[in-house]
Amino acid sequence: MSKLTLSDDVRATHGSKAPMLAMVGGALVLLSGLLSWSADSTVLDDVSVRFYPIGAQIYIMVMGVTAIVLGVLLRKRPAWMSPGRGLRILGWATIAFVLLLALFAIGYETGALANLNEGLPVALVGGVLVLLAGMVTPEVTLDVRRWPKLSSSLEIVVIVVMMAFLLFAVAHALSLESWTFIAFLLMLVGVAGAVLGTGIGGYLGFVGANNRRPLLLAAFLVAFLFPFTQDGSDANMSIATQIIIFAATALGLNIVVGLAGLLDLGYIAFLGTGAYVGAMMSQSAFATIGWKPPFLVVMLIGSLVAATFGLIIGSPTLRVSGDYLAIVTLGFGEIFRLAMFNLDGNNGPKLTNGPNGIPGIPDLNFFGFDFGESHSIAGFELGRFANYYLLLLLLIAFVILVFSRLNDSRLGRGWVAIREDERAAEAMGVNVFGLKLLAFAVGAALAGIAGTIKAHVDTSVSPDQYIFLESAFLLAAVVLGGMGTVVGVLVGASILKLLPEKLREVNDYRLLAFGLLLVIMMRFRPEGLVASKRRQLEFHEDDEELVALTQQEHLLEAQAEAK
Amino acid sequence: MDAFAQQLVNGLTLGSLYALIAVGYTVVYGIVQLINFAHGEVFMIGAFGALSTWLVLFKGQTGLWVLPIMIIGAIIASVVTAVLMERIAYRPLRNAPRLAPLITAIGISVFLQEFVRLFYGRVPFLDFPDAKQKVPFPQIDVVTGKAFEIGNVTIQRSAVFTVGALIMCAAALWYFVNRTKMGRGMQAVSQDPDTARLMGINVDRVIVVAFAIGAALAAIAGVAQGLQVTNINFKMGFLAGLKAFTAAVLGGIGNVWGAVVGGVTLGIVEAMAVQFIPGTFGGSPWKDVWAFALLIIVLVFRPQGLLGAKVVDRA
Repeated sequence: MSKLTLSDDVRATHGSKAPMLAMVGGALVLLSGLLSWSADSTVLDDVSVRFYPIGAQIYIMVMGVTAIVLGVLLRKRPAWMSPGRGLRILGWATIAFVLLLALFAIGYETGALANLNEGLPVALVGGVLVLLAGMVTPEVTLDVRRWPKLSSSLEIVVIVVMMAFLLFAVAHALSLESWTFIAFLLMLVGVAGAVLGTGIGGYLGFVGANNRRPLLLAAFLVAFLFPFTQDGSDANMSIATQIIIFAATALGLNIVVGLAGLLDLGYIAFLGTGAYVGAMMSQSAFATIGWKPPFLVVMLIGSLVAATFGLIIGSPTLRVSGDYLAIVTLGFGEIFRLAMFNLDGNNGPKLTNGPNGIPGIPDLNFFGFDFGESHSIAGFELGRFANYYLLLLLLIAFVILVFSRLNDSRLGRGWVAIREDERAAEAMGVNVFGLKLLAFAVGAALAGIAGTIKAHVDTSVSPDQYIFLESAFLLAAVVLGGMGTVVGVLVGASILKLLPEKLREVNDYRLLAFGLLLVIMMRFRPEGLVASKRRQLEFHEDDEELVALTQQEHLLEAQAEAK
Repeated sequence: MDAFAQQLVNGLTLGSLYALIAVGYTVVYGIVQLINFAHGEVFMIGAFGALSTWLVLFKGQTGLWVLPIMIIGAIIASVVTAVLMERIAYRPLRNAPRLAPLITAIGISVFLQEFVRLFYGRVPFLDFPDAKQKVPFPQIDVVTGKAFEIGNVTIQRSAVFTVGALIMCAAALWYFVNRTKMGRGMQAVSQDPDTARLMGINVDRVIVVAFAIGAALAAIAGVAQGLQVTNINFKMGFLAGLKAFTAAVLGGIGNVWGAVVGGVTLGIVEAMAVQFIPGTFGGSPWKDVWAFALLIIVLVFRPQGLLGAKVVDRA
């Protein structure tokens, strides 16, 4: 976002007005939540009544309060914070929020912009003021050495609060529909972006890095408790299972793309391999292989077959790299899809039933525990998808474990070296070809396991699930979230899977927005929403301030570890 | 023997189409080392541009004189798309890591497909057909219609048009690259952009021209495709683009003549594979598989292509 700032002169002369601007803007935004937004009472759960804030109006009030708080902080700025940056992000988010809701939710849905009442224009003025406040704030260099020093038990409290907030936000988001959902998401992105952007993000990352175990434990506890908040309803659980399968596959891809820096455009084929193995060896009446081993064996075979394909697809890396490799993998991906489409007995052996695929895959059954039936645990009802969700949670825990252990190991450092400079890595004695192959094989094996489970969750497999666009989606999840990070990919995968589910009425524009999103992300934030510091540096080599900041943070982390 | 000759003709036709598109990949790659993944969509938009021109100006007419104007309409649509794409999406990323432009290209590709699918039928004041399904492409006298028969070999009229278009474009391209100032500027930039800049060549303009030339040829290919298949759709760019990229690599990416040779070779190989690979793995269901296999084999064993090209070492 470098070009969108004012000159230093303007900042120097008007900088002192920033806190005032922020507070006035924030107050206006806050006020707008109390006003009427629309003359039509049918949109956004009725936002036509004055002094009775509801849904999106409450969200905008949260944004207003955040702006005021940042304005106050601007008056008396802690040395490790930059409220100006937060205000800029918040300003843009407020303007986007207002315009989107005004033009589309109210203007388009009710059929006339005339339905617009005073609330949103007031909010727009407030948003512009907040943005201006952010823009006239003088640039500051953050001093991370002044981070508050909390005792370790307090740090854990911080993490617990963060996680509780996360669970609440997710549960709340899932209960919303259509435009209110978008409003919530925009608010969340705006407020979280603003708060984290002030430098709190870096601090939380630091706290998290100091307490990795409690953090992971808390995160999984939250994920584990999630189905129990759903009252036995399977609607959200079905989305959640899809998200986890997608995220697990994307994490596998992240090993290849994010860690080793090899672009793979045919990755969905590995998920497909797993799914087809799972289907062909299942109890389905249409399964084409007579051998029907227990599921754990199928899972193992699925991952092995996928890993073998990974080795085959990875083998050209000996000779090609970069763009060419991307095209080779794209070619393999297409060959996979076409082969699955063709192997129907007429053109080649009968393995996949061609375009019809393999339907009727029965539910899993572990030692008498039938995944297809509802179970009651401690008074809570868990439906079919909740069962699979818990199984998939184990899978993704395993995938994250593999990913982070590899990332921290000698192999992981080798991958980073290859990604940053292949020749130098080779000269330093890194086994470049071996490590590249390993990245492909491990990533593929993880996707293969996910595939075998996916076959049972979906109850059928067919070639049209494994088109190029799906590979592009996987890649987008990695890129959008943040290459090389676990949290980023989880966020990216959730956004990409959740949005289309929640926005049924604008589903037709899904791919259009997706394409645009990729272009915009690459232009303005190529390192992704949740960037690893190292990646960020690779994309912004000449940003000296970022370099200095990163060095300081590394120093602090090293000190904390030494303690 | 008849079967062989027939497949040769089919292959040549298909190959000419690939070659026309492949030039776009190769000129852009030769100058900025960027795989313009969205080039297939430029081809698709060319076809829609021609159709729109026909619908607006000549609806119902089939005379041959319509064709040049349709081609001009196609070229305008494609060139505008390609130049905008370069300006808005690629130029800001020129010094970014190589992953970024490739992902941008995928984004543009998806965006353009969806844009045509969603909005083509909804252009205000114009009664365009809905592009969510296949759209019939106008048939023009002389270049479509009853096929020629030579012995037992059938030659479609549109095939003659496609091959003729390739020959004429290749000649024009040769003249442009070797005999004009801009063409020589392009050669200089592809050899050494920094020195070329020092010699007073406007590199930015050269890059725009490279995109425009590729787009113009892709537009002609779009018209040829429309005449051959008699209908067009928003998805036609993906596979054609991928095949054309294969052709560009096969010939040696960055080498303009390589694109032509590679395109024709790929077309013929594909046609022959349909006819002559025996057993259940032959025939048209597997022809794309063989094309992609050829792509992989070439990339792995001879990445510089048949005619050779710039050294391929891009990480």
